Amino acid sequence: MKLFATIACLLTALVMRAEDLFVSKVEPLLKQRCFECHSHERKIKGGLALDSKSGWEKGGESGPAIVPGKPEASLLMQALSHAEKDVKMPPKKMLPAAEIAVFAEWIRSGAPDPRVSVAKNSQDLAVDDTWDVEFHKRLDWWSLKPMRKVEPPKVDDVAWSKEPVDRFVRAALFAAKLQPAPSAELGVLRRRLSFVLTGLPPSSASASLSDEAYVDMLLQSPRFGEHFARHWMDVVRYTDTYGYEWDNPAKGAYEYRDYLIRAFNDDISFAQFLREQIAGDLLPVPRINTASQTNESLIGPMFYHLGEHRHGSSLMFNGIHQDMVNNKIDAFSKAFLATTVACARCHDHKLEAVSQHDYYALAAIFTTPRWTSRVIDAPGKNDAAIAKLKDLRTAIRAELAVAWKRPFEAAFLKQWAETHSAALKGVGAPLAAPDQFTQKAAEWRKARVAAQNANTSFKPLADPAKAQLPHGWVTEGDGMKHGFAEAGTPLIALEGDAVIASLLPRGWHTHALSSKLPGALRMPPEHLIPGRFVSLDLAGGEFGGQLVIDDHAFQNETITFYTNTLSEWKTFSDAELKNGVQQVTVEFATSSLNPNFPPRTGLAKGLKNDDFGYDKRSWLSVCGIVSHEKAGTPQDEQDSFAGLYDAADSPDSWQRIAAWFNSAVARWCEGKTQPGDQPVIDWLLTSGLLPNKAEPGSRLAALVAEYRRVEAGINFPRTVNSMDQRETAQASYPLNVRGNVDVPGTLVQPGFLKMLDPRARVTDRLELAESLLDPEHPLTARVYVNRVWQWLFGTGLVATPDDFGRLGVKPSHPELLDWLAREFIREGWSTKKLVRRLVLSQTFRQSGLVTDAARERDPENRLLHHYATRRLEAEAIRDSLLAISGRLDSQLYGRPVLPFRSAEDAAKRLFSGPLDGHGRRSIYLQMSIMDPPKFLVGFNLPDLKLPAGRRDVTNVPSQALIMLNDPFVNEMAKCWSAGLFKDKDVNREDRVRQMFGQALARVPDAAELKRWTEALQDFGGDTPDAWERLAHALFNTKEFLYYR
Amino acid sequence: MQPHDHHLCTRRQILAGASAGFGMLALRAMAGVPLHRRARAKNIIFCFMDGGPSHVDTFDPKPMLKKFEGKAIGSGAVSKRSQSNAGRVWFGSPWEFKQRGQSGLWVSELFPHIAQVADKLCVVRSMVGELPLHGQQNLLLHTGRILGQAPSIGSWVSYGMGTENHNLPGYVVLNNDWVPNGGLENFGSSFLPASHQATMVRAKGVPVDNIAPHDEAVIQRRKLALLARQDAEFAAGASDAQIIEGAIANYETAFRMQSAVPGIADIGGEPEYIRKLYGVDSTDEHQRFYATQALRARRLVEAGVRFVEITCPSFDGNNSPWDQHGQIRQNHAKNARITDQSVAALISDLDQRGLLDETIVLWAGEMGRTPHTPKISEACGRDHHVNGYSIFMAGGGFKGGMAFGETDEFGNSVASDPVDIHDIHATLLHQMGVDHEKLIFRHGGRDQRLTDVHGRVLRELTA
Repeated sequence: MKLFATIACLLTALVMRAEDLFVSKVEPLLKQRCFECHSHERKIKGGLALDSKSGWEKGGESGPAIVPGKPEASLLMQALSHAEKDVKMPPKKMLPAAEIAVFAEWIRSGAPDPRVSVAKNSQDLAVDDTWDVEFHKRLDWWSLKPMRKVEPPKVDDVAWSKEPVDRFVRAALFAAKLQPAPSAELGVLRRRLSFVLTGLPPSSASASLSDEAYVDMLLQSPRFGEHFARHWMDVVRYTDTYGYEWDNPAKGAYEYRDYLIRAFNDDISFAQFLREQIAGDLLPVPRINTASQTNESLIGPMFYHLGEHRHGSSLMFNGIHQDMVNNKIDAFSKAFLATTVACARCHDHKLEAVSQHDYYALAAIFTTPRWTSRVIDAPGKNDAAIAKLKDLRTAIRAELAVAWKRPFEAAFLKQWAETHSAALKGVGAPLAAPDQFTQKAAEWRKARVAAQNANTSFKPLADPAKAQLPHGWVTEGDGMKHGFAEAGTPLIALEGDAVIASLLPRGWHTHALSSKLPGALRMPPEHLIPGRFVSLDLAGGEFGGQLVIDDHAFQNETITFYTNTLSEWKTFSDAELKNGVQQVTVEFATSSLNPNFPPRTGLAKGLKNDDFGYDKRSWLSVCGIVSHEKAGTPQDEQDSFAGLYDAADSPDSWQRIAAWFNSAVARWCEGKTQPGDQPVIDWLLTSGLLPNKAEPGSRLAALVAEYRRVEAGINFPRTVNSMDQRETAQASYPLNVRGNVDVPGTLVQPGFLKMLDPRARVTDRLELAESLLDPEHPLTARVYVNRVWQWLFGTGLVATPDDFGRLGVKPSHPELLDWLAREFIREGWSTKKLVRRLVLSQTFRQSGLVTDAARERDPENRLLHHYATRRLEAEAIRDSLLAISGRLDSQLYGRPVLPFRSAEDAAKRLFSGPLDGHGRRSIYLQMSIMDPPKFLVGFNLPDLKLPAGRRDVTNVPSQALIMLNDPFVNEMAKCWSAGLFKDKDVNREDRVRQMFGQALARVPDAAELKRWTEALQDFGGDTPDAWERLAHALFNTKEFLYYR
Repeated sequence: MQPHDHHLCTRRQILAGASAGFGMLALRAMAGVPLHRRARAKNIIFCFMDGGPSHVDTFDPKPMLKKFEGKAIGSGAVSKRSQSNAGRVWFGSPWEFKQRGQSGLWVSELFPHIAQVADKLCVVRSMVGELPLHGQQNLLLHTGRILGQAPSIGSWVSYGMGTENHNLPGYVVLNNDWVPNGGLENFGSSFLPASHQATMVRAKGVPVDNIAPHDEAVIQRRKLALLARQDAEFAAGASDAQIIEGAIANYETAFRMQSAVPGIADIGGEPEYIRKLYGVDSTDEHQRFYATQALRARRLVEAGVRFVEITCPSFDGNNSPWDQHGQIRQNHAKNARITDQSVAALISDLDQRGLLDETIVLWAGEMGRTPHTPKISEACGRDHHVNGYSIFMAGGGFKGGMAFGETDEFGNSVASDPVDIHDIHATLLHQMGVDHEKLIFRHGGRDQRLTDVHGRVLRELTA
């Protein structure tokens, strides 16, 4: 008792001493160093108050600031040490070491703090209420308010009264006392229309058309879709690669690009276009394009995959999936809402009505589906061929059944075994030791029982008697859909003399009919599968394999390609979920359905660096799925030998062996194969004991030839990285405190921005898409209509197309914007109708003439008093060079064409393509994040990682150097002039006229004709070289590079 | 040689966005606003040691590593800023360290030449990065953000300081068609005007894309004369003549760049002893490239280029030159052989010319390397490490012969004075007379800075 009191006394003394320390040293330091930002008298930054004990106990956004007794676990110490960039306190300069030591000592001694709370309850509440109040204040913003229903104003100007758009513009000009510019000359207008609608210079022979007919002709041209697709590609940060360290190919990006081209050319409604990109995989009725034989809707979600992706996963390095999701949220919110939601990753938005919670709710929506490859072939594309192959396989099997009917004689087998000792392994092993029959039988029985016993701890997840996968596992592709095979199903050989390659074990074999057919099996998140382990019996080849995906980071390096033709068990144990990772899944896939194929160079052994993984045969077999609590894999119960060792006794081993074989083969011929028969027959087949050749001219030979012909006619699958939400559970996503991935906060349920979805109705992507398509949505139509306006006029009615918020610019003609948006919806969200209306308006037809008054009062042309001179976009410069020189290949669609590079880097797949890109339009050049096409970069191709609703137009000397000296430009000049020079009968003047017509879409005046023919003389006279120089000079005119 | 000098750019054209990089501060100077504080330095040469040289094999001696070599590091040494796990073992440096010069600064025998200029070096041993990954660290080092999407430091310097030579770009990367991790974005101007993006100069072949005139001079001049007349008419009919005039002016600048840039890049006129000093005579092709680029770097800063960056040649298919996860003995030695002599030559050559005072030589990789390895062997290497690594500055007002900051006794984490790359950026700008909090560009509705919201000027490092 006394001792206890002494200890208590001592403890009190210690605490007292620490308390003294607090009063004498810690508190003054807090006041001096911390109170400025963390006290009720001044500010409470990050929600942390240090002027009371309860203040640091409760802590700020990151939780308690101090763990008494544990300085190393205390956030306060972490902040003081300046070890973490995000939490350096004080932020400017680290405290002297001696002061930090004081804090450490105080915390180590239990952090006694005698101060009482100065915070009243009401103040605590105030902190939480602040956002709510602020939020409601922020809803008062033009772009969040309903679109007005306005009538176009009446204007006193006949030419400007026809088109409602013009009436709005003219009225505003009247109000500003400014005059519009007169109409542009026909040639100027035609050139403008051609570039604006197709990105190419006008071809001749259109002067006789009316403006309406000319515009309709351009809108009908497939070049329109290419040009507008490229606009949209800027908005969604289109890339063909994933950048970062290895610049891996973004699977199927080009299919998405082609999808865009088709969508614009076919004038798919913007509503459908939006729906498909946000939730194309979820549409009850997908849009099937019969011409391209594609499931268009399923291509849409490639939208999410664009942008930069790091390899590896957050389980290895925290931050990978979080940064990826951030890029998606940024792209989605800018592209469709012109709102900067990504800013709310670290804190409630500084200016908009977007909370940090909103950001993570959206993250949860986007991480609910699997981010993986989908087959975009129209459903049933291969059905006829598949049905035929199945029939042929049955017929071939029937033919073989006849050929295999003849039983084996014991004597023959005995004799055969003597000459084939090398084959006496596996199923053939008993033939090597017929005299040890009894002993072997006993060994077999023992092993069989042991295996059977061991296997009781493995719980089959699927009923082996049914062709049914476990609940929650999903498959993709015809390879899996038509790949289930009963044991002994023949795998027809696709080449060579043999009829069949092997007999398949029972299971799913993506190549059962054709190794061109794609197949994937996707497991549910590991932690949702019963048991600590799940094991699969797998085989595969030709880059069929598995990919472990940690929270949607599909560029994980845990990728394995199988090289075993006989199936083997592979075990997957539940990974520890950390770093905010909510789930780990494994996908088993042929190369075409592996979202990370080809992976970074070096990871797929045998795959050449310049092999981009197109059109590959690939296969995968899944023969069993079990779950278990203990490590290990199921053992072979050796069913094959049951027919030998368990059969009725016969004194002669060879008789028994013959009977074993004969009964197995007989059962196969009758289609009544038992477990264990397949390996026996497969062994007989591979050992050459069963005939496997078709006599030339036989029915069997004809069947095999037909099988191979039909198989050869199957196209390789078209696959795209998209979304797969089948059988997935709704995800929740941990909020990251201050955006720090190492400080996970509460789990946030899927949802949308509160400002646009106040009743929290949106919980998945389809609801999200439909909510945006509400005809009264304040942003969707306005944002898109504004983009189209900008594509046509150079500047939008809102000059910041990706930001309709407080950091953006307010609309120049708010009523026009609303009228257009409503009209756009009324006309069925038709892009072409909108474009047609705008380019036929008087506003668009204006020349570039600017009055002094206009220049003075509205230098930025916000009121649209003229049509501003515009530089051609990078693609239009390159495409024009190709078109004029006669090198343009008008082929639509296809895989990316490698850009010309002066040096290659094979490890990063940065290979060079031809100087002129085979004459293909620039939209088809490979957009590598790591090294985009240099020519285009020179003329402001935007950053490929980020949405870029509006391109920069810079004016720098390197552009002059490109136009003067780049070999491509000179090559095009040579090409063009050589073509012109072929026609010998043309005189100089006429040839110059022809060149002006092609390059500038106009006739040169007399002075120009003189100037250019004289220049020809300067360049060497009427020679091919001189004409080339003249052509090159014409390419360098500003009139070529700009349009008015 | 300059037929278009009569057509000088007007100030209005420059403001309209034409022509070579007149910087913000230069413009302010034109407007009569005082330029900046007293600046020590005018130029920066950044020797980018791409891939991450090992700090414990270069500037941060750790005898404990030898003592405990082969012993498991234990869970206490595991960090998310290193590729690490408890089972890895300490790995002593294969290279001896010695104290060098008057100052006694420690430099390992990996860098015999740099060791000779030790008294010029201001080594920071306590660099802390964010993630031990190349892409992020490269972008952090160059743009101040692990995700990039912001201008490179070279672009900021070019933008902030302007150029002293209108025929040359403000930011030059002496490269060899090497695309570093993180991509060409490392050298990009992002939201700053494109005139501030890096101009790439190759070690072999034609130094700059499109710099060699396609036409003989007389033809090109005739073409330009034809264009001048033709374009003037077009400008008159354009809605904004200034833009077209700017584009016309660019042709004049481009014309002059055609001779100015190759002139600087041509080191043929340098005396033999200088060429030898840098190692241009080396029998090793990679060293020859590097030496050529180092010598060009000096010529470029002499000619008024603000920011010159030299990348390391890549060999043997490494992910990046200094990224020795294996074979560190062989390949760190090779990287050192390629770069050591030229870097030292650059420092001493600048010094002899009196240029070192106004030129900062920055030597830095994006990370260091782990003081541990999975298993000791002849072929073993070191992995990614950003929890305390070494870089150095020389010249430009930085103190020489000093080491700042400390790592723990194993070189495994920072023990005192942690420094992040924002601090280095802030200090470099400070030495250029620029306040890193004032060098801003409005973008995305925010005043953007190289240092984002971070950065502290390290006055401890400067004289």
